[in-house]
Amino acid sequence: MIGLRRALWAIGIAAVLVTIVETDLIATADFHHPERGLWVALNAVIGLSFVGVGLFAWYRRPDTRVGTLMVATGFAWLVGNFGLTDPPLLFTLGSLLNNLFVACAIHLLLAFPSGRLSSRGDRNLVIVAYVVTTLGFLPPLLAADPTYIGCTDCPQNLLLVESNPSFATTAVDILAVLGVIILAAALGRLIGRWRAATPPMRRVITPVFVAGGTLMAILIVALMLSLLRVEGSVAENIFYAALIPFGLVPFLFLAGLARARMIVGGAVTELVARIGGPLGGGELRDALARALNDPSLELAYWLPESECHVDPEGRKMEPPAPGSGRATSYVTLDGERVAVLVHDPLLLDEPELIEAVGAAAALALEKERLEAELRAKIGELRESRARLLSIELAERGRLERDLHDGAQQRLVSLALDLRLARGAVREQPEQAERLLDGAAKELEHALGELRELARGIHPAVLSDRGLDPALEALARRAPLPVEISARLGERVAKPVELAAYFVVSEALTNIAKYAHASRAVVRVGRENGRVIVEVADDGVGGADPSRGTGLRGLADRVSALGGRLDVDSGTGSGTTVIARIPCE
Amino acid sequence: MRVVVAEDSVLLREGIARLLDDHGFDVVGQAGDADDLVRKVGAHKPDVAVVDIRMPPTNTDDGLRAALRIRDEHPQTGVLVLSAYVEEAYALELVAESASGLGYLLKDRVADVDGFVDAVRRVADGGSALDPEVVSRLVGRNRRDDPLAELTPREREVLELMAEGRTNAAIAERLVVTERAVEKHVTSIFGKLGLSPAPEDHRRVLAVLTFLRS
Repeated sequence: MIGLRRALWAIGIAAVLVTIVETDLIATADFHHPERGLWVALNAVIGLSFVGVGLFAWYRRPDTRVGTLMVATGFAWLVGNFGLTDPPLLFTLGSLLNNLFVACAIHLLLAFPSGRLSSRGDRNLVIVAYVVTTLGFLPPLLAADPTYIGCTDCPQNLLLVESNPSFATTAVDILAVLGVIILAAALGRLIGRWRAATPPMRRVITPVFVAGGTLMAILIVALMLSLLRVEGSVAENIFYAALIPFGLVPFLFLAGLARARMIVGGAVTELVARIGGPLGGGELRDALARALNDPSLELAYWLPESECHVDPEGRKMEPPAPGSGRATSYVTLDGERVAVLVHDPLLLDEPELIEAVGAAAALALEKERLEAELRAKIGELRESRARLLSIELAERGRLERDLHDGAQQRLVSLALDLRLARGAVREQPEQAERLLDGAAKELEHALGELRELARGIHPAVLSDRGLDPALEALARRAPLPVEISARLGERVAKPVELAAYFVVSEALTNIAKYAHASRAVVRVGRENGRVIVEVADDGVGGADPSRGTGLRGLADRVSALGGRLDVDSGTGSGTTVIARIPCE
Repeated sequence: MRVVVAEDSVLLREGIARLLDDHGFDVVGQAGDADDLVRKVGAHKPDVAVVDIRMPPTNTDDGLRAALRIRDEHPQTGVLVLSAYVEEAYALELVAESASGLGYLLKDRVADVDGFVDAVRRVADGGSALDPEVVSRLVGRNRRDDPLAELTPREREVLELMAEGRTNAAIAERLVVTERAVEKHVTSIFGKLGLSPAPEDHRRVLAVLTFLRS
């Protein structure tokens, strides 16, 4: 900042020195311009106001290039007026760059207020304007001899190669035609941009655009008049009329800054008054939209626990990414992120406004954030309750099917076998023996199936002995090597044990089905009043909890106990499922 | 041989008692819960107690706890635990330091009368009887660098029968080979697993189980 300040001071001092020297040179020039006094004043006032305001803007907002462009315009103006001085070198330079300030003004206006040209068309237009107002004036100067037009006092044109008045006139006419085209295009772009601007943006650009548009319109008329060779006082003085809006640009810009600050103050005062009392649904957003003058404003709140944003209703939402046509600004309170304002990107040109409004509303936003968090939790709870219910229904359905297709069928066929054996026992004892053997086998199968079914519903070892032995049993039954690297070492509440058990059981089932893993590691521990269950494998990864009911159901089981389930599953790096379940 | 039967389902308890009675056992007591069982074992000092794991008063693993207590307080009494489901942890907990006079069978095995009676008799004699499902779970468990992979299929069979607590003669009969052949297999298995040979059957069971649980 110090370096920038020094540089800006140096530029300012240079501008003042150039102006002093130039004032003296214009005032004492042999070459008698009829309005010499007026030009001394115009040169100094317009040049220095552009440079001065430009430096101020440059210093205040080094991130935008408006200040730089204003300073450049001021210098272009000062240099062009060297055409009114005697020293041949300065005279020639001034004559060559006499119209450069117009190109700078076009650049400034098209780039206003960010200082950056937004489209390729704008960039091309500005480049053409620079070329025409610099190199474009070379051809006529090569042929223009001031003495030929009767200016005996005029300084020497150093660029003169051979006097050729008709060539010079034609060249100037061509430049005038080009000038009309460029200015008309620039004017068209200004009008287009103004029409496309949002209300807050219009508030910023209107004064400057009106002045700039007037400047261009008058210059177009002036060029047309000279092309049509119109003589008379209007034609002679119209150029001075163009200087009025041009000279006003820096002052309008300055007024805009002051007004913006007043608007910030006013907006914040009004906002504080509006959000002082109790607020109904959506009123805070409306108040902020009003203060920022952006009806499209949206609010999102940050929920640190679930690491996501939600809207005021508690629904999950993703703030728009940069370049999506919407901009985001964060509001913080005591260094913690509270809310995100999703707004018109043009508001970024008024960072003070956003900052002041955000700071004023931070407490109200925090209050609404807590409400949104609550709503999100309630919504989540409602959804997970519904899912748990449907999981339970599905589970019951599965049990019914397993019993019906399994044990029940076997028992029916067993009953049949026994009846047949009973009938055969006297006449065909061998047949009866076979039937009884078959019946015993069926019975064995039925018992085995019932056993597995019972274990799936609720493993006895879990309620008898707790989580650690139950997990060891799971590990032994798993179809891949499972290491239990950390144990709980104590009993916790039964629902917690059951949830933890199912997390491991489901995770191991998933690993066996999908992970192509060579081994799995289970860790259980207690931390800050929560049971932490972690199941990691070295498989292919890529598990997605939002797909499939297994992980989803687990997450619901866990969240029903106030816990959370995280799945970390990068492709190729294995999968880690971590459940954290409160146990106090 | 004197037996106490503990089982809370009267039907099953009576059934087991009758079955054992038919096969020459002397059923000296029947218990419907764990406390009653411990009392009756203390009073009758039977050769073996047949115990259901899940029993009153808490209907969890009361039978198992009672069994552990009996093994501790009455080492002369063998304990055969019956369970509705296979839980290797329970079997291993029971075996702990000695497989002598110990059995752990699925309840279903009662239906295989001869096998069941044989198991009760083995346990009463100070031998072991582990359910084949428990053993196959232990053997089939996934290990890294599994030394069991070096065993031939026949040796695996012998290992499982050994772990169930069967004698060489029983194994030979089951596999239809000579006892001499079984002995050779056993020596080879112990060599491959790096275990020192144990002469008595129940010590052999312990060695194999200790290996399998590790």
